[in-house]
Amino acid sequence: MITSTLEFFLRLSVWLLAAPLFPGIINKVKAWVAGRRGPPVLQLYFDLARLWRKGVVLSTLASPGFIAGPAVAWIAILGAALLVPLGPIAGSPSFRGDVLLLVYLLAAARFCTTWAALETGSAFEGMGSAREVSYAVLTEAALITAILALSVQTGSITLNGMLGLSTGAGAVLLAAGLFTVLLSENCRVPFDDPNTHLELTMIHEAMALDHSGPPFAVVLHGASMKLLLFMVLLSEAVLPLSRLAPLAASMALISAVAILTVGVGLVESLLARFAFRRVPLLLTTAFLMCLFALLLAWKGDTQ
Amino acid sequence: MNIAISLVCAALALGGGMVLGKRRPGLWLGLTLAGAAAILAASLLVLCGPSDWEWRSRIAIGGEPLHLRLDGLSALFLALLGAVGGLGAIYSREYWADDHHADSAPRGRLWWSAIMLSMGSVLVCSNGLHFLIAWEVFALCCFYLITLDRGRAEVRAAGWLYLASSHAGTLCLFGFFATLAARTGSWDLGPMREHANLAPLFWLALCGFGVKAGLFPLYIWLPSAHANAPSHVSALMSGVAIKMGVYGVIRFGGWLPVPAAAGWIVIGLGSATALLGIAFAFAQVDLKRLLAYCSVENIGIITVGFGGALLGASHADAPWGRVLLAGALLHVWCHGLSKALLFMCAGSLLHSTGTREMTRLGGLWRSMPWTAALFAFGSAAICGLPPLNGFVSEWVVYLGLFGAAVGRGTSGWAAMPAVLTLAVAGALALASFIKAGAVIFLGAPRTEAARNGRESGALMRGPMLAAAAICAAIGLAPLLFWPAIARGVGAWNPAWAAPEAPAPLLALGTVNVGLAALFLAAGAWLARRAAANGLRRGLTWDCGFAAPTGRMQYSSASFSRTTTDWFGWIIRPERSQQRPRGPFPAQSHRIERIPEAVLERVYTPAASAVLRLATSARRLQHGRLQFYIVYVAAGLAALAIITFMGRI
Repeated sequence: MITSTLEFFLRLSVWLLAAPLFPGIINKVKAWVAGRRGPPVLQLYFDLARLWRKGVVLSTLASPGFIAGPAVAWIAILGAALLVPLGPIAGSPSFRGDVLLLVYLLAAARFCTTWAALETGSAFEGMGSAREVSYAVLTEAALITAILALSVQTGSITLNGMLGLSTGAGAVLLAAGLFTVLLSENCRVPFDDPNTHLELTMIHEAMALDHSGPPFAVVLHGASMKLLLFMVLLSEAVLPLSRLAPLAASMALISAVAILTVGVGLVESLLARFAFRRVPLLLTTAFLMCLFALLLAWKGDTQ
Repeated sequence: MNIAISLVCAALALGGGMVLGKRRPGLWLGLTLAGAAAILAASLLVLCGPSDWEWRSRIAIGGEPLHLRLDGLSALFLALLGAVGGLGAIYSREYWADDHHADSAPRGRLWWSAIMLSMGSVLVCSNGLHFLIAWEVFALCCFYLITLDRGRAEVRAAGWLYLASSHAGTLCLFGFFATLAARTGSWDLGPMREHANLAPLFWLALCGFGVKAGLFPLYIWLPSAHANAPSHVSALMSGVAIKMGVYGVIRFGGWLPVPAAAGWIVIGLGSATALLGIAFAFAQVDLKRLLAYCSVENIGIITVGFGGALLGASHADAPWGRVLLAGALLHVWCHGLSKALLFMCAGSLLHSTGTREMTRLGGLWRSMPWTAALFAFGSAAICGLPPLNGFVSEWVVYLGLFGAAVGRGTSGWAAMPAVLTLAVAGALALASFIKAGAVIFLGAPRTEAARNGRESGALMRGPMLAAAAICAAIGLAPLLFWPAIARGVGAWNPAWAAPEAPAPLLALGTVNVGLAALFLAAGAWLARRAAANGLRRGLTWDCGFAAPTGRMQYSSASFSRTTTDWFGWIIRPERSQQRPRGPFPAQSHRIERIPEAVLERVYTPAASAVLRLATSARRLQHGRLQFYIVYVAAGLAALAIITFMGRI
């Protein structure tokens, strides 16, 4: 009982405290590739602290949903993250079908983010939300295929049972597919450019344009947790962590997440953002890779 | 015995409402509510009690002895009828009041009581002939309710389309029941799985009931009928009436043996219905059409669950089949209630602004806060977002499908595509309702009508709140509702009669309660923090526009443009535009129409081909006597030749 409570708080603090680190690392990698010094790795922490103390400017059109939306979305992302095991520490609450709760919690977060974005009536936010929900159709298909592949392979429908086992040829496909989903869901290049603020062609930043103060801090923190969530999911879907000793598993997970972070930074440095009409093609490719992973899992042996 | 008394009370109250309600709306409301309460009581007695209720009488109607039966399955649908029927009746007192609809309101009350009575009869009749009679009366009541506002041409058109499609379905049902009676030698209905030769009849039942349920591609009547009917009628139709079709398919899929391919076909049909229904919904610009197409999607989800149950039953009563059937039945309740809520919200909007076109609205949360909040709640429920009811039922369906896939049997090949289409349909449903909610309630008003919205009164808000409360209850305490669902599942297949819930449902309920509490707490906490730091109101930034107008906002068509193009092969959007040209553009326009593609591209051409054939055949009938004599002579000669040839 005490161990599980301790583990719960450990996971909670990892998600809450460590998540804002990774966007900082990505920015540092980008700066390094470009030959700049770049902002400090802890920049997002400073930003969050500053925003949390700031006042709020509300659009004259916004309803109370403008502030409630980010809060609910943040809880939904945190709830989804807590379901995921962290290396040797199992996720909780854990029950048969909790993986579907994860998918639906991410959907709930999307609902609240887009709802809050549309509160202001700005055409920018309209654009961003429309893209977010449209591309989500394809990413959700890819994500559920990946989940199906994992559960067919492991014979389990719980996150604790299906993660940390996968190996073999399917894992490579799954990694490629999930990495694309990660980039799209977290609005990174080549789907979106998190650096631009005056582009007609962005998704996530467009939705957060009119947020300020504590609600904006919650949006940013939620986004960083979502990024970490997808990186952890990808690592555990691909690496056979459960076969390692606890310490080794933790180290493997941390290094995998670090590699992914650097990978995202490199992709962002070396690749330009795609034209929007090519985005569905890339997402369909991700879906197909997950689909092939599913077929491989179906053909392969049960673990 | 109590069940019989409740049912008699319900029939008396509803019948009394039909007779006395025309002139006395208050009395009618009382009687209808009493009837709804009695219906609910009867169904709850069956659902919570140990045994079914059955009554055979020697009284014969149409030469057949009366045989009534209320088991777990029909009681589930009866409970939904009681709930939505009662709520809709309260709602209609303000929404379709005598002051504004002096002519149609009394008729509306008459047909409302009649439809509740006839749907109840469909659910309890256990004789094929009586079932057909009740079914036909129910279809007619629906027609009269749809065309309450019959002064408008599009209402009449929608009514006729409904009537024609409904009768095409009834034709299949005539064939179904007549063949059934011929093969078994009796009109009596009940479990008859041992007659293997009845299996092909399942296809007839699927077509006949599928029209009413709105399966793809038989749903053509549904969008226009739901859009043009008064909103309390749309709520009843979408919440309960189309579920009668589902009831028929499930009922006879359980009583009769089914062909081996049935599970595969039904699950495929359900997936197609879910995906295409919601793709059409997202493209709509008319709110009630969007809701109607979303009903098509949800019927698809229910059908997927039922198809999985058929598959499971044919695979040695696999446990995942039980989970899938439970999910389908739970979704019947969940969709019925949340869609009734959403249609009532749509009615509240229509009442206040007079338009169903979303792009003419906007910013209505300020003048209609209750409707806005309830619509957002209903949207979250119907998109299946935790911690509400839609999530629980969809989660149970997914659990069954994953169970089938993980088992790695052949049924996995049906379950895996179904999981994929349901996931895509879920994402599209979220997109549709974000679009509807945001375009209508958020941002700035786009027209004068939207600027002058006003909140509806207590009689309309009350039923909406009650429906929302039941939705929340199913989401937060699914275990409370499980025994009823388990009774329904047991009535369908006695092998699955075990009452215990799948273990994770308790965990899910707990998680949902926790989530709900955390959502509320986080919202309040952030609002307090923001208020403490200081709130300031300012114009929406919008890239530096000093005076944004409502028309600069994203419209409903622009929101769904990308996805509509993905599904352009079936939605077939019609667009025409003239871009602004030159330094002083004189005029420009853009017109976009989302046609009823299946109706306009498939059914209408087919129907006009039949009509053309018939018209050309009519050329033979011109009224000139001498030619008729030639026809008769030619006919006689032909007969003579045939006879003569036959003799050789």
